[in-house]
Amino acid sequence: MYKYLLCWRYLRTRYIALASVVSVMLGVATLIVVNSVMAGFSEKMRDRLHGVLADVVVGSWDLNGFYDHEEVMARIKQVVGDQVEAMAPTMETVGFMEIKAGGQGTITRSVQVHGIRPLERAKTGDFAEFLVNDKLTDKGEYERIPPSFEVSQELKKLSSPAGSLLMEEAVDPAMKAILEEQMNEDVPDFGAIVGFALSTSHFEGSDHFMIKPGSRIRLTFAAAGSKITPAYDSYTTVGFFKSGMSEYDSTHVYIPLERMQYMRNLGDGKGHGAVNQIQIKAKPGADLDELAAKVQLTLDRMRPQYFRVQTWEHMQGSLLAAVAVEQSILNILLFFIIAVAGFGILAIFFMIVVEKTRDIGILKALGASTSGVRGIFLGYGLLLGIVGSGVGMIGGLLFVRYINVIEGGLSKLTGRKVFDDSIYYFSEIPTLVQPWTVVWIVGGALFIAVTASVWPAQRAAKLHPVRALRFE
Amino acid sequence: MSIHLAAEGLFKSYHKGRTEVPVLRGVDLEVERGELVAVIGSSGSGKSTLMHLLGLLDGPDAGQVFLDGRRIDNVSERNRDALRNQTFGFIFQFYHLMPELSALENVMMPHLIRQSLFGYFKNRTRLRAEAAHLLKRVGLGHRLDHKPNELSGGELQRAAIARALCGGPDIVLADEPTGNLDAETGQSILELLRDLNRERGLTMMMVTHDPLIAAQADRIVRLVEGRIEEWSPALA
Repeated sequence: MYKYLLCWRYLRTRYIALASVVSVMLGVATLIVVNSVMAGFSEKMRDRLHGVLADVVVGSWDLNGFYDHEEVMARIKQVVGDQVEAMAPTMETVGFMEIKAGGQGTITRSVQVHGIRPLERAKTGDFAEFLVNDKLTDKGEYERIPPSFEVSQELKKLSSPAGSLLMEEAVDPAMKAILEEQMNEDVPDFGAIVGFALSTSHFEGSDHFMIKPGSRIRLTFAAAGSKITPAYDSYTTVGFFKSGMSEYDSTHVYIPLERMQYMRNLGDGKGHGAVNQIQIKAKPGADLDELAAKVQLTLDRMRPQYFRVQTWEHMQGSLLAAVAVEQSILNILLFFIIAVAGFGILAIFFMIVVEKTRDIGILKALGASTSGVRGIFLGYGLLLGIVGSGVGMIGGLLFVRYINVIEGGLSKLTGRKVFDDSIYYFSEIPTLVQPWTVVWIVGGALFIAVTASVWPAQRAAKLHPVRALRFE
Repeated sequence: MSIHLAAEGLFKSYHKGRTEVPVLRGVDLEVERGELVAVIGSSGSGKSTLMHLLGLLDGPDAGQVFLDGRRIDNVSERNRDALRNQTFGFIFQFYHLMPELSALENVMMPHLIRQSLFGYFKNRTRLRAEAAHLLKRVGLGHRLDHKPNELSGGELQRAAIARALCGGPDIVLADEPTGNLDAETGQSILELLRDLNRERGLTMMMVTHDPLIAAQADRIVRLVEGRIEEWSPALA
C-alpha cells in the first residue's frame, strides 16, 4: 500500500520531476501530430492516385498498341469476369501542346496525351469527378462538367470572332452561312480536356487561366508508320482535369480516342483502331494483385511477352514507398525525442533517489522489502509516463483536431501562409488519426519512462538501510 | 523474567578505504522482557552499530542475535523484513519522518508497509483509528493532519515514537531519542518512553549520551571500544 501512497505523493510534490515529463509530453504530442498529418496526406494522395489510375492497367510494350482489344477484353472477362466491374480501352502517348498566350506568342509544353472514350473511362475510376470548368461556385470550388468532348454551338460562338457576330440579331442569311463556315474553321470540332495546372498559373492566391474553355490548342504526337512522323491536330478546350495530383494536372491532356487513333494512323476514326492500354476497374473487395497476376497469365498465353499488367499501387510503387519510408524515418527520429526525455527522467530520478536516501532507509527499517522500494520508483516512473503521455496524447489529438484553425491563426500572426494550398492542392491540412498508431506511441513512451526509472529504482532498492539512515 | 533479546559474541567492523575499522569486538548482552536498558559510551564506541545488529538493520561479521531464544540474525530477507516490521520499533535521533506524509500517515507506515492495497482499504478505519489513538497517547491528538515541517522537534519525536509503537511491536530500539532535543523536552520524551514501557510491557533499548537520561533506565550498559565493559544497576 505504501508504494502507491508514496508514488502519488511524490508525483504531487516533486515538481522538478514533472519538468522531465514535459519532454515526454511534447514527444508524444509531436509524434501523434506528425503521424496523423502524414497518414492524412498519404491517404489523400493514395485516394487521388487511385482516383486517376484504374485499379489494374493492361499495357502493351509497343506504344502503337494492338488492334484486337475487343478480344483481349473478352479474354479478361472470361478469366476474371466476376471480379471486373468495368473496362475501358485507352491510348496514351507523349506529345507537345502549343497554345497561343497573350503577348507571348506561342507556348509549347510537353504533355501526356490520353485518347479516351470519356464515358467508358469515367466508369473505370474517378475520372469524371475531376472535370471542371473555369467558373467558381459559392463554395470556392470549380464547377463540375460532364465527361464529354462535345464542343457545343454555344462554345463555338463564344470563342471565335465570327461566332460572336453570329450571336447578334438580324444577321443576313447569306452572311450567316459564311460566318458559320468561318467559325467552324476557327474552332476545331474535337474537344480536349486539359490538365488544370497546364492551363492556369497560380498567382497571389487566385488562378489565372491561360487556356479557357473554347481556347484552341494544338497537339503534336508521333504517328505510326515505317518511320515516326509527327501528327498535328487542333482541339477546342472544353474543360479542365483537376485531380489534385500536381504530376497529373500538369501533364495530362485528354482527347477523343477515335480521333487520336486516326491522327496516329492507327485507326479509321470510326471506332476501329489500336489502343495501348486497357483500364480495368475491379469490383469492391477484389484482390488486385491476384487479379493482375491472373490477367497477366492469360494474356501471356494469348501473346507472350507483349502485355504488361500492373495494379495502380504497383504503377506508383516508388512514390508510395517513398512516403512510407519518410514516415518511418521521421518516426524513428521523433522517438529519439522521447528517448531523450527518458534520460531526463533517469537523471532526475537519480537526484530524487539521492534526496530520498534517508526516507528509503526508514522504509527499510520499518520493514519495507527490497522489491517494495524498487516498486515505489518504478511505479513513480510509470505514473510520470502516464501523466506525460496522457497529457501529450490529449494535446496531440486536440492539435490534430484543430490543426486548420491553428494554421489559420499562425498565418494571421506571421502574415504568411503556413500551409500554402496551391502547393498541395488541399484546401485544408488533411489528417487521419490511426488508433493503433496512438496506442503504439503512448505504449512506447510508457515503456521508455519505466525503463529510464529501472536503474534509479534498482539503486534505491539496493541501498543498505544503515548507510541510508546515516546519509547526510 | 525471561530473556527477550540476546546477543552472543557480536563482531562488526567497517571498511574505510583499505583499512578495516573494528567497531564491535565480541559483545554479549541479554535483555529481559519488559526491561528498559540504556546503552552509553563515547562516540564511535559502537552503540548505534549494536542497535542496528540487534534490530536486524545490519548483519554481524560474527556472533549471533537471539529473539526469545531463537536465532534471528541469519533468517531470510523476507523474514527479516517481517521482524523489522512487526517485532521491532525504531526511534531515531533525527526523527526521520517522511516529509510528504501527514503525522497520521507517518505513524501508520508500519501498517501501510504490511498491508496490501486491498487489505488497507478493508481495514482502513481500524488502522487509522489505531494510529490516531497512538498520536493522542503521545500528546499529538490535535496534530493528526500536520506535515512534519509544521511540527516542533519534540512533537516530531513524539510522532516518531507513535510510529515505533504502531503495529504492536514487542521491542523498541531508540537511537539517541533525546539527542537532538533540549533538556526539558528530552526529559519529557524519556518519561513518555518510560510510561509506555511500563504500560505496555515493552522491552526497550535506548542509546544515549546523557548520563541523566541513562540514569532513569532499569539498567545501564557501557560500551568501551566495542566491548561491554560495565554493568550497573541504575537504580541501585
